[in-house]
Amino acid sequence: MSFGGFGQGAPMFGGGGGSRAAAAPGGGLPFAGIPSELQEGVDALLLSEPEHPEPSARFSHLPADAQSKQLNLRQLIFRHWRLGALAVALVCVVSVTNQLGPALIALGINHGMVPGHRDFGVVLLCGALFLLAVAATAGAQSAQAMVSGRLAARVMNDLRVRVFAHLQRLGLDYYTEEKAGVIMTRMTSDIENLQQLLQDGLAQLVGQALTMVVITAILFTMSVELTLITIALVVPILTLATVWFTRASQEGYERVRDGIAGVLGDLSESLHGVRTVAAHNRQRWNVVEHRNVVGAYRDANNYTAQINALYGPGTQMLGYLGQAALLGIGGEMVLHHHLSIGALVAFFLYLNRFFAPIQLLVQQYNTFQQGQSSVRKLRTLFRTDPSTPQRPDAAELPPVRGEIVFDQVSFGYLPQTPVLREVSLSIAPGETVAFVGQTGAGKSTAAKLITRFYDPTEGRVLIDGHDLREVTLDSLRRQLGVVPQEPFLFAGSLRENIAFARPRVADEEVWRAVDAVGLREVVERMPDGLDTVVHERGQSLSSGERQLIALARAFHAQPRVLVLDEATSNLDLLSETKVEAALDALLEQRTAVLIAHRLTTAMKADRIVVVDDGRVVQSGSHDELLEQGGPYAQMYETWVSGSEPDAEPGSGSDV
Amino acid sequence: MSVATDETGGRAASADGFVPSGNSSRHQAPRAWIDPDRSRSWLARALPIVLARKLTLFSALGLSFVSLLAQVQIPSLLNSAVTDALEHHNGSLGHYVRIVLALAVAAGVISYAARLLLMRTAYAIEFDLRNMIYEHLTRMSFSFYDRVQSGQLISRANSDIRSVQMYLTFGPNILVQCSIAVVAFIYMLTIDVPLAFVAMLTLPLVFLMGVRMRRSLFPVSWLIQARLAEVATIVDENINGVRVVKSFAAEQRELHQLQGAADRLRWAYIRDADLRARFTPLVQNLPQVGLALILLAGGYLVIHGHLGVGAILAFSAYVVMLQAPFQMLGMLVMLGQRAAASAARIYEVLDEQPAVVDAPGARALDRCRGDVRFDGVSFAYSADGPPVLADLHLHLHPGQTVAMVGRTGSGKTTVARLLPRFYDVSAGGVLVDGTDVRELTLESLRGQIGLVLDEPFLFSVSVHDNIAYGRPGATREQVRRAARAAGADEFISRLPDGYGTVVGERGYTLSGGQRQRIAIARTLLLNPPILVLDDATSAIDVQVEQEIHEALRTLMQGRTTLIVAHRLSTIALADRVVLLDGGRIVADGTHAQLLETSPLYVEVLARAQEAKR
Repeated sequence: MSFGGFGQGAPMFGGGGGSRAAAAPGGGLPFAGIPSELQEGVDALLLSEPEHPEPSARFSHLPADAQSKQLNLRQLIFRHWRLGALAVALVCVVSVTNQLGPALIALGINHGMVPGHRDFGVVLLCGALFLLAVAATAGAQSAQAMVSGRLAARVMNDLRVRVFAHLQRLGLDYYTEEKAGVIMTRMTSDIENLQQLLQDGLAQLVGQALTMVVITAILFTMSVELTLITIALVVPILTLATVWFTRASQEGYERVRDGIAGVLGDLSESLHGVRTVAAHNRQRWNVVEHRNVVGAYRDANNYTAQINALYGPGTQMLGYLGQAALLGIGGEMVLHHHLSIGALVAFFLYLNRFFAPIQLLVQQYNTFQQGQSSVRKLRTLFRTDPSTPQRPDAAELPPVRGEIVFDQVSFGYLPQTPVLREVSLSIAPGETVAFVGQTGAGKSTAAKLITRFYDPTEGRVLIDGHDLREVTLDSLRRQLGVVPQEPFLFAGSLRENIAFARPRVADEEVWRAVDAVGLREVVERMPDGLDTVVHERGQSLSSGERQLIALARAFHAQPRVLVLDEATSNLDLLSETKVEAALDALLEQRTAVLIAHRLTTAMKADRIVVVDDGRVVQSGSHDELLEQGGPYAQMYETWVSGSEPDAEPGSGSDV
Repeated sequence: MSVATDETGGRAASADGFVPSGNSSRHQAPRAWIDPDRSRSWLARALPIVLARKLTLFSALGLSFVSLLAQVQIPSLLNSAVTDALEHHNGSLGHYVRIVLALAVAAGVISYAARLLLMRTAYAIEFDLRNMIYEHLTRMSFSFYDRVQSGQLISRANSDIRSVQMYLTFGPNILVQCSIAVVAFIYMLTIDVPLAFVAMLTLPLVFLMGVRMRRSLFPVSWLIQARLAEVATIVDENINGVRVVKSFAAEQRELHQLQGAADRLRWAYIRDADLRARFTPLVQNLPQVGLALILLAGGYLVIHGHLGVGAILAFSAYVVMLQAPFQMLGMLVMLGQRAAASAARIYEVLDEQPAVVDAPGARALDRCRGDVRFDGVSFAYSADGPPVLADLHLHLHPGQTVAMVGRTGSGKTTVARLLPRFYDVSAGGVLVDGTDVRELTLESLRGQIGLVLDEPFLFSVSVHDNIAYGRPGATREQVRRAARAAGADEFISRLPDGYGTVVGERGYTLSGGQRQRIAIARTLLLNPPILVLDDATSAIDVQVEQEIHEALRTLMQGRTTLIVAHRLSTIALADRVVLLDGGRIVADGTHAQLLETSPLYVEVLARAQEAKR
């Protein structure tokens, strides 16, 4: 039983080197790669892709520039005003040449075909002019598509880089307060919303409005009366219907989107929880429940069907009714010699051409509003200043010995709820200090102040005597190594993940980090060694291996100061042993701050600092603290009694 | 294929609003299944699901045809009206106006009905397909899920179903629309033969260009999707990995990473614009060329007295009318290719047979005593894979708690998976109360076994619904009692909405220890005589571990329990310890006995101790 299609990794789409695999984005529907039947076409396309120049954007920790803070549509387009002007000019050409046809037919009929005026020369001339007009239209349309396509692509590119750069400089507070999905939206749909507007929308707004004017003008030359009647018959109803339709289908679209999200969410949970489902005999129940979820999606689809079925055939009927009216009213005028037959034919042919501009204008107006709202959101984003700004006169931090001092530091994520209160603490170069304490005592927060993820509300944090706020962020963080509680892996090769701090190094250096944490065996077992691609949500690595990679990454950075938030997640015994050994290698010869969740880890430290309710309540070596009695001795007591099995033999006792 | 639609037990009505979601559906189960004959074409295999909706589908197509017939009359009537009533003053104009009015109204109403019916049919077929696949997936065994990535399945359920559904329902409609071209052509022939051919001249080109346009645009639009996903991936990683990026001062590099992706995206967008610039003006303006040709040829015929002026209007109107169906015909060709590939991927799933099913005549297990026996069990995950268990014998007496210990890969987790029959043994047998599990119905067997997994999975529903997962009819009080026994009541009450708090991937995030205790409560509520525990209490706060062990002791009372133990502290929960090595039991006894008699046991424990140090 072959299952060919399954299990193939997502193909890479990057033309150049070093790009990341396109895994499913965080928001929206999963993108599972290009379907195999289209792969050939895509490959052919990629062959024609030129080398792109090296990225050149400069990153700076300074707040967004004044221009970004005033972001608006006009500004975005004016940056490429030549392309914009050209696009508008081409649209103007199209809206004239595209409407010449029926007028030429009318001319041909009136001056070449009706009794008394039969002249094939006129017909020939009109036909030739018609063909010429068609050719001009096609040429101008083609040029316009190319010009607006470039305009849109450039503006979007520019915007993507600027928004991303700004996101990069915002502080951790922004990332904790704002949901990941919302931040994602700023970089994805808010920018993509503008794509359609720029590529087609703005030119269309101009072009369609102009088309209406041109048609009306041509018809006026034939019969003012019939023109006014035609407009009165068609335009108001069509406009109202289209406005209704645009709103209703917007709502319908949202319902469908929620519906499919529900369906895929339910399916995804059933698949991920498949063992739990089976163990609890929930299959039948879930089948019925899924039917309800799919049913809701189907109802939403049926709702949009209702809207589409009303609008599509409805406007079509309006067109035919208009023709009947033209035949009646215009026919009478022809019979009374108020109108030529040719002109009546032209009216018939122009009638339908009123429809598209009105429909498009209403829809484009909607796109325009969406674009405006996206621009507003982006502008708000640019106006958010980084919370740990770099001073314009910040100095480079020289290579440090690693002395860290907390000087009367107070801090709270919210002003009214302090997390740290007047903490004073001095850590000597090369010393290993473990912070222990209850969850919420403030030990992780203290660590975040050392890396300057946050600034203290009062007091100072100093490294080698430099206030952290007076040095550049880059020079500070390059000398710090951080191992977060949850190891984070980027989608990319093992090498990229380990050599994250200094990417362009020889393999030996990467291997040195691998060896230091005892990961060689694991890497060598991987199909492509260091080049094996790992995914953040992939299951190719155990959580122990992921932690080891995070440690290797910190080791490779060779920081002077190490801040390590111990993982609380489950490890099997072997990994745990390895992680502990790796930790020993990492701690050697550097200042280290450990946020310890396990007392075994705390015992590794030269000094243990007990944090309670935002204050340092005890400080000293393991033995000293045990002797002292107090909170640490109590914690230790609980731990010893809890972790020993009843039948534990005395010889096995480890603490 | 039949599935019980309603199995609503007594449900708790509660003022707090955390009643479990009801389990009845006003929606019907799928009515048909794909043709199981794999040798047939994908369309032939899909026929039963289409025919299950034949009434609405054929009504929609029939109505659509009628409406088009009405529309085709109109240009021809305009021709007669202009030529006869206006040019030759022969016949009443009002007569023609009334007919056109009537036809317009008829066409509009019928076409509304046709469109609505057709779309509803489309969504009905999609509904059937989705439920069919879901139902099929619930029946699949674990060996299937070991092989298949859920992300792939979800994407199949997402886009592949859509593309098959679109083709199955819109295909016939586009064909109906194009069949109208034949009717229109006949009408034109009755007016004038040569001009009819001139008018139709450009339409095949519209079709051909349409096909070519889509063929070249499809790859580039997928490339754009891929590259949008690439940008999104980088953003996603920089959001989730923001601490790493910041602490390694890698902002500049990440910015370049993104700029590179954005540059590649820009190229794809420009490529797309250029391809559109090449094809769209052609496809849109070809019918205009047709109009010019009608003017030229028609003019010639009018001048020489073969035709009336009305014919020029009628022929022009036909060309405008037929333009859209011919463009859609081009789309249909591409849709067909996509749908065939999508259908192949869907059938691949539907053709899979579950490996573990009820045997014919399987009987229900009720009031189980909890006597479990592994009798010479051998097992491998795949037919040609390495054996994981080899001739394993193990007997658990009712009410006994047995801990399984062994090195990684010794097979202890596998033993636990065989008991609820997640897999079938390759040799030997697993017996519950003396009956081979393969002779029991899956549902009754699993109903007697409670399972607490190493990484408990919580669904994105309320805490109440999560605890009542195996017994959706449980009352609020029952759920609360289970939570209390599992030591979970206290923290649940402190959650923002108490038992109504939605947790799981799309809800409130609970700590590992909290999830554990909810999973224990979930199993307690089932009150199963047999219990399987995959040890998960490793590396949580000492405090929390103690609380969980407390909960586990409550859970295990009076039940036969099999524990997969990874750490020493868990072993302390068991009456008896068995040591597994190489897929066999190599030592069996109390913890103290094993320490004395088995060097391997001491080694495994020493590892545990070493890790703790």
